[in-house]
Amino acid sequence: MGPAVDGLRQTMEEALGSGDTRMVLNLAEVSMIDSSGIGLLVRFLASAKQRGGNIKLVQPNKFAIQTLKLVGVLNLFEIFDNDDAAVESFV
Amino acid sequence: MSPESDLGRNNTAFSELLDRSMPADPEAIGEVVDAISETLARLEVPEQKRFEVALAVQEALANAVVHGCGNDPSKQIRCRVNTDPRGRIVITVTDPGPGFDLDRLPDPKQRENLHADHGRGVYLIRQLMDEVQFEKNGNEIKMWKY
Repeated sequence: MGPAVDGLRQTMEEALGSGDTRMVLNLAEVSMIDSSGIGLLVRFLASAKQRGGNIKLVQPNKFAIQTLKLVGVLNLFEIFDNDDAAVESFV
Repeated sequence: MSPESDLGRNNTAFSELLDRSMPADPEAIGEVVDAISETLARLEVPEQKRFEVALAVQEALANAVVHGCGNDPSKQIRCRVNTDPRGRIVITVTDPGPGFDLDRLPDPKQRENLHADHGRGVYLIRQLMDEVQFEKNGNEIKMWKY
């Protein structure tokens, strides 16, 4: 919740609005994901998939993975060790 | 390992670790969460527990801002951190709102709720903390980490 989530929301809305439905989110610098961040991710994941796209996560830390798992959404996402592998997975 | 030994040396007596009031503004949450994390780090609380407490407090404060105060920054939220006589961390978040009905909270792990953009905060708190109580009709949450 707060500026970080607001910034991500704006970025993803702009991307989806311009037709970019295949997204890679690098979470390496994200120390913690709260429920508002999770809500944002799953909502945009659903929007992207409805348009034939996807959202792939790169380098979430162990706490982010734990949190996504706790609320039952970890297996909705594909997770990669680096940006290149995530981008290539779209090809 | 006993609960007391998890918290380092300064844990044998009931004590107030932190008492903060903050405006009901999302941007004020981070400072309080950071202050609690720093306090727990000084007590040598392990990183995993610090993370669990920090996320639970983040969720409780976010609920207080949005649901307890209606995002009105003129309203105040109080957050207190204590250790009880057994050395357990006790965190209390109080807002001036009307409270809420716990029975009306959805189960976020139900299939139809997996893509919902809200409704996971209290569930997460209960998963992260060892004991959770709602008091005063829900406008005060008390959370224990053993």
